[in-house]
Amino acid sequence: MAGFWIYGEWAEEDFHPVVYELLGVARTLAPRLGQKVVVVTLGPEDRRPGVEKVLAYGAEEVLFLVHPELDYFRDDLFGRLLGDMVRERRPEVFLFGATSEGQALAPRIAGELELGLTAHCTAFEVDEEGRLVQIRPSFGENILAKIVSRTRPQMATVRPGVFPKAEAGEPRGRVEEIKLAALPPSALVRRALRPLPRVENPLTRARVVVAGGRGLQSKENFAQLFELAELLSGAVGATRPVCHLGWISEEHMIGVSGVSVAPKLYLGFGISGALQHTVGIQGAETVVAINIDPEAPLMKQADIAVVGDARRILPALIRRIREIKEGKNGSGP
Amino acid sequence: MHLIVCLKPVPKPGTVRVDPETHTLKRESAELTLNPPDLYALEMAVELKERYGGKVTALMMGPPNAAELLREAYALGADEMVLLSDRAFAGSDTLATSYVLSRGIKRLEPYDLVLMGKASIDGETAQVGPETAAWLGLPSVIQVKKIQQEGDHGWVLVRVREGYEEELSLSGPAVVTVEPGVNDPRPPSLKRLLAVRELAPRVFSAQDLGCEAEKLGLSGSPTQVLDVFAPSYQREQILLTGEPEEVAQELVSHLRTRGLI
Ligand SMILES: Cc1cc2nc3c(=O)[nH]c(=O)nc-3n(C[C@H](O)[C@H](O)[C@H](O)COP(=O)(O)OP(=O)(O)OC[C@H]3O[C@@H](n4cnc5c(N)ncnc54)[C@H](O)[C@@H]3O)c2cc1C
Ligand SMILES: Nc1ncnc2c1ncn2[C@@H]1O[C@H](COP(=O)(O)O)[C@@H](O)[C@H]1O
Repeated sequence: MAGFWIYGEWAEEDFHPVVYELLGVARTLAPRLGQKVVVVTLGPEDRRPGVEKVLAYGAEEVLFLVHPELDYFRDDLFGRLLGDMVRERRPEVFLFGATSEGQALAPRIAGELELGLTAHCTAFEVDEEGRLVQIRPSFGENILAKIVSRTRPQMATVRPGVFPKAEAGEPRGRVEEIKLAALPPSALVRRALRPLPRVENPLTRARVVVAGGRGLQSKENFAQLFELAELLSGAVGATRPVCHLGWISEEHMIGVSGVSVAPKLYLGFGISGALQHTVGIQGAETVVAINIDPEAPLMKQADIAVVGDARRILPALIRRIREIKEGKNGSGP
Repeated sequence: MHLIVCLKPVPKPGTVRVDPETHTLKRESAELTLNPPDLYALEMAVELKERYGGKVTALMMGPPNAAELLREAYALGADEMVLLSDRAFAGSDTLATSYVLSRGIKRLEPYDLVLMGKASIDGETAQVGPETAAWLGLPSVIQVKKIQQEGDHGWVLVRVREGYEEELSLSGPAVVTVEPGVNDPRPPSLKRLLAVRELAPRVFSAQDLGCEAEKLGLSGSPTQVLDVFAPSYQREQILLTGEPEEVAQELVSHLRTRGLI
């Protein structure tokens, strides 16, 4: 049977956005592995319209496990049902979004079937032996690791926002509905679901991201980023150390422990460019780095590298842009 | 009530070395510390013990020198210390680690709940909790923020998910991972610090645990690091140097030319 499987996590009526991102990954890799792109999902019958939607995004097949009581996620139950499907159909690859649900589910299946699982991959390759090479930043080092799995399916999780979404096209493929007569027992029952006051994180959608690191040296210097962000209608991002220093709250953290951003313009002030940070800006179109050290990794990676003291360049930049916005001196001296 | 907390020894940031051959962490040479997210799990277990009675066992797989960290856990409120230590465990990925932990947990039966941190700061996979549960055939719930007992063998849990929190009931023992920041881990108790000087953790080897050799260590780990590499970038780069006012001006004009501001 085989297949390149993607876990179809629900976000109400439609799939979670990360499913569409995984479809983008699957569409490039699956043909090279000689596999079909398959979305595997569970739910009650009335999810069918949502299920069909992915056929336009590159899913060649959807395995839809149907039962009225599959209306919400239960770790043990979903793990068991998907584990059974894997045993039966033997996919080559099985990818999950690293959401709360994906991170609860993927390791259950890996544990149950004794499979390798790689967390938070930021890139994939196919090698000569036809293996899925899973790439992720390596422990605290400024290096990437290539990981392969000796077991099948090759399993990995991917954080939301790291890969671009698949584009819609002509729907092809089909839905295979598997009606379950009875469910295995579960120890879990949902009692209540309370929405948390939703603070939409403007970072993940911002067109411009101005980010700062330890090189800004103080909370006061860092605070000027807000002024620049406002002038550019952008959002403020940060590295992990400055969040821990309390210069800004953790929702602003970019990188493996924070969010991924995909702006048209990213400006990094006093940021060294550790991989744990830069994997979060993979989707940025233009990268500008401002650093006293021309050898800093972010400087090497930048489209525009500005050598200098970020503490002085930041206010100069704010002044210059303000002048322009106010219509003064627009074409420069 | 018997609560087991799994605590991971992690290298102190900045002291890690990577083995050039196997590309795994050389843990022997690093200074160790308790994985900070695990302190929330320990605190939650100690609070449960204070509310419902019973004991807390701190469980760790690690090298012999990690015993010191278990003593720290004792000072923070754990009652028993168990170290799973064997050369054969070296180089374990999350599957092999969770296998060993599950064997250790079996040795500590009966128990009511296993608590773990959400993720370790070195591996940061957040996989070991649910994988251990799978080895034990138990349910697992991740990112738990609150736990209450209900009936004799039941629990009511609150877990956080993106955008909402979910209340669940759960029957029987389970493995839960605790969301960082949900409580205030207490400082070490002086009395316990003194008491623990007389104590040593119980240590179990692979053989003591009845582990299957082929499931251990590097060779028992299905994931293999093929290679590590520095990322390379092929971009046309503009380099700006000079006085702050000058470079700011140049930068602005480049960005304007590109239609970015
Ligand atoms: C498991 C793990 C997960 C992690 N997750 C994340 C994550 O999600 N996000 C993240 O960001 N980090 C993360 N990190 C930390 C990461 O490895 C780096 O330590 C961090 O990104 C560095 O932050 P920084 O660039 O602000 O500081 P530093 O690395 O200290 O860099 C400061 C830079 O500022 C420059 N500088 C100094 N003074 C000036 C000046 N006056 N003007 C201009 N430049 C100046 C210096 O040359 C240097 O390049 C993680 C680490 C680990 C181990
Ligand atoms: N060697 C270990 N000993 C004890 N507990 C561990 C060990 N490794 C992982 N854990 C537990 O599993 C959790 C998740 O770790 P990880 O999957 O590495 O992110 C940690 O917070 C610990 O509670």
